[in-house]
Amino acid sequence: MIRTPLRPLARILDARSRGENPDAIERENIRLRHEEMRDRSRLRAEGRLLMLGVFFFCAFSVVGLRMGALSASEPSEPRASAAGASIVAQRADIVDRQGRILATNLETYSLYAQPPQMINPERAATELARVFPELKAEDLLEDFTGKRKFLWIRKKLSPEQKQAVHDIGDPGLMFGPREMRLYPNGRLAAHVLGGASFGREGVHAAEVIGVAGVERQFDDRLRDPAQDGKPLELSLDLSVQAAAEQVLYGGMKLMNAKGAAAVLMDVHTGEIISLVSLPDFDPNDRPRPATEGDASDSPLFNRAVQGVYELGSTFKIFAVAQAMELGLVNPDTLINTKGPLQWGRHRIRDFHNYGSELSITKVIVKSSNIGTARVAQMIGVARQKEFLRSLGLFEPTHVEMSEARAGKPLLPPNWSELSTMTISYGHGLSATPMHLAAGYAAIANGGTKVEPTLLKQSGPQYGPRVMSENTAAAARTMLRKVVTEGTASFGEVAGYAVGGKTGTADKPKENGGGYYKDKVIATFASMFPAHDPKYVLIVTLDEPVETSGAQPRRTAGWTAVPVAAEMIRRVAPLLGMHPEIEPAQLADITLTSN
Amino acid sequence: MSYLEYTVKTVPSGIRKLLFLNWPLALLLTAVASVGFLMLYSVAGGSFTPWAEPQMKRFALGVVTMVLVGMVPIWFWRNMAGVAYLAALALLLFVEFFGTVGMGAQRWIDLGFMRLQPSELAKITLVMLLAAYYDWLPLKKVSHPIWVALPVAMILLPTFLVLKQPDLGTALLLLIAGGGMMFLAGVHWGYFAAVIAMGVGAVSAVFQSRGTDWQLLKDYQFRRIDTFLDPSSDPLGAGYHITQSKIALGSGGWGGRGFMQGTQSRLNFLPEKHTDFIFTTLAEEFGFLGAFSLLLLYTLIIVFCISSALSNKDRFSSLLTLGIALTFFLFFAVNMSMVMGLAPVVGVPLPLVSYGGSAMLVLLAAFGLVQSAHIHRPR
Repeated sequence: MIRTPLRPLARILDARSRGENPDAIERENIRLRHEEMRDRSRLRAEGRLLMLGVFFFCAFSVVGLRMGALSASEPSEPRASAAGASIVAQRADIVDRQGRILATNLETYSLYAQPPQMINPERAATELARVFPELKAEDLLEDFTGKRKFLWIRKKLSPEQKQAVHDIGDPGLMFGPREMRLYPNGRLAAHVLGGASFGREGVHAAEVIGVAGVERQFDDRLRDPAQDGKPLELSLDLSVQAAAEQVLYGGMKLMNAKGAAAVLMDVHTGEIISLVSLPDFDPNDRPRPATEGDASDSPLFNRAVQGVYELGSTFKIFAVAQAMELGLVNPDTLINTKGPLQWGRHRIRDFHNYGSELSITKVIVKSSNIGTARVAQMIGVARQKEFLRSLGLFEPTHVEMSEARAGKPLLPPNWSELSTMTISYGHGLSATPMHLAAGYAAIANGGTKVEPTLLKQSGPQYGPRVMSENTAAAARTMLRKVVTEGTASFGEVAGYAVGGKTGTADKPKENGGGYYKDKVIATFASMFPAHDPKYVLIVTLDEPVETSGAQPRRTAGWTAVPVAAEMIRRVAPLLGMHPEIEPAQLADITLTSN
Repeated sequence: MSYLEYTVKTVPSGIRKLLFLNWPLALLLTAVASVGFLMLYSVAGGSFTPWAEPQMKRFALGVVTMVLVGMVPIWFWRNMAGVAYLAALALLLFVEFFGTVGMGAQRWIDLGFMRLQPSELAKITLVMLLAAYYDWLPLKKVSHPIWVALPVAMILLPTFLVLKQPDLGTALLLLIAGGGMMFLAGVHWGYFAAVIAMGVGAVSAVFQSRGTDWQLLKDYQFRRIDTFLDPSSDPLGAGYHITQSKIALGSGGWGGRGFMQGTQSRLNFLPEKHTDFIFTTLAEEFGFLGAFSLLLLYTLIIVFCISSALSNKDRFSSLLTLGIALTFFLFFAVNMSMVMGLAPVVGVPLPLVSYGGSAMLVLLAAFGLVQSAHIHRPR
């Protein structure tokens, strides 16, 4: 028998002892306990329900908030998060000093294929081969039916090509937006701009990186998003550049030269207004670097900043200016020019025999090697080195092109007294036309060094002084006389008082055995107007020969000078210069005297 | 406390029951369904075919079913709970062997006039069975291990069968709904804590199994999880749904682009635009206002269910109503979260709005149970 406990025992026993029926007590107790239990369960159920309610509320809030957040968000294409999105495509424009576009970007499309999504690979392949004759249908079909899930077909499409591919209508052929670099002026200023190509590529964007010229030099700046697309302002002037290129190209053809270079530079600010190197190329379609032949004959080669040449007699003015600065000579000092000058096994000759004596001015005007060599002897090795170093002729120019670093001057391995003598008339030291421009600018601006720059400047540079103003003025007087009565008589341009110095240097043989007799580098280093120079112009022709006379003529006076004169004639008005009458005294009165 | 202890004299009878229907709930359901018709009309490009009209017919059928189910006394349904559960299990087994394969899963039984998805049925019958079980089980035994193991088995059986189909979303919903029922019935905290801990362990195990021989989930299921965790990893592939629907929601803005002006959904950017992703159409065309209004309608349905459950002294009715409310809630919460990128893409329709026959019918039948519980509540 199962005994159920009697509860509450005490009260039941009490009741029993009193003789009452304990059942009522027990029943009441059971009822109370049941009620208590129900209350407890009710409480618990309500607690649980509350929890559920809180959970519901939280879920509703989350969903509602998310809804609000999404509604507030800008709808953006998934492109932003696609592969390659980290590639920043926007590249800043490059403009000339007047804000005219030299390089900009063009929206175009690349074509790629996703074979798994193709409906009809055979048809796609044949149709593609029709649109792009250079693609082979068999190769494409092989790619489309193989294991590949993705392949590039073309990097750039013209709008017509894009439409044609679009018309094929296969969903497996896709277009990716591409930003490509466009040089709207074509070949103009090709060497300065350099060029750009694609770097890392994604489906929705590709990196455009500069490969040469300022595009490479300023690659980081052009791609820097912080610059906010602000264009890069160069010192070049588009119209001047166009005129200079045209004249130089004509001159190069006329003089049968294989190459040419010109640098036009503001003597106060150091700004390069125009920089030409011929032959040139189209930066929109940059040729591949030549794998054979001389790299310095490639169109990609920048003769103005990369090419180091012996620049010949143009250097004479440096020797004479230094000698005047040191007080060793004045313009009228007579120098023994009896030739040939024997130095060890070496003989120094002049182009013509100039008699036994010439004044310093005449040495420059007639371009006497012997006279200059004697001046150099007075100066000596150490002082000459120091002066040429101060003109920046010992290291590459700092002009802002990646190629400039390659234009390191060639110096003699041991700088003997003979080296001093030959270097004084421009042999034995090779430098770029840009170096020469910087050196002449120092004379032109009154004796302070300037750094050539391709970036637009706001004011003149004040570099370290390399010679006194008097010396610079005397040198300019001599240079003016070279044009009025000396070797550069073709350089006279009415109203612009050109001053300058010719230089004809025999080209050294490639194998190092002496010099060619019939190959020269002809250079004319000029400034205008000579009485108050604003610009320096260097024109260099590579292997020119002028054949109008009985004998072929190669000297700079016959080749580089007329080209430079024509260039000044064309360019000076573009630079805003008016023809003016030269102050008369400058031609005769010297400003330095002992 | 069970019905056996109440007198049922006060319960309305015959056609009078209609008066005691939970009319606000019925109206709310109709309102939500109408939103569905509107959207289906819109995604079809302003046409009743192919979606809006069949959906309306099915809704009418569903309402009739709901009323009929509601007229049947709740104690009948309680007694039928076990049978219904077993029937659903049988159908799940049947579909396992004879079902129609659709979208990589065996989910349907073709009945000719409609395709029955037994997993839908399983959700409701499971809730019924659990409610009946806890109605029968004395309160003090609720947390006893044996009496806890039994309902766990009841939950796991259909869950396993659904998982085999495979339909991860529904399986998870079954688990959560069942667990919720047990929670509401008052099972001790400790069990839930233990299960949650085990769940965390299981999830990590699933991830560990990836790429091994004993891989627990299908590749596409892993991909969905990956896509959920980082939709941008594959915007044109598996992440397409989510990115596109987010664009739709974003372009809807606050006020929407206007009825029939949605581009994302109408221009076929979105797959399954008339079923699982119909919410994006709403969000794009009616903006935050429209989407939030729908959410509000859903909330009101839940609120009416809970208040009905609270006012019901019968344990079975109360638990059943709460359980159905919970299931309904899970449906739309998971769907909305999925569309808005808060949850991985699992095939859960937006209840009453998404195009789809059996889901709607079963859901309305379930609300019929809620109505029955409401009508036959002890007074």
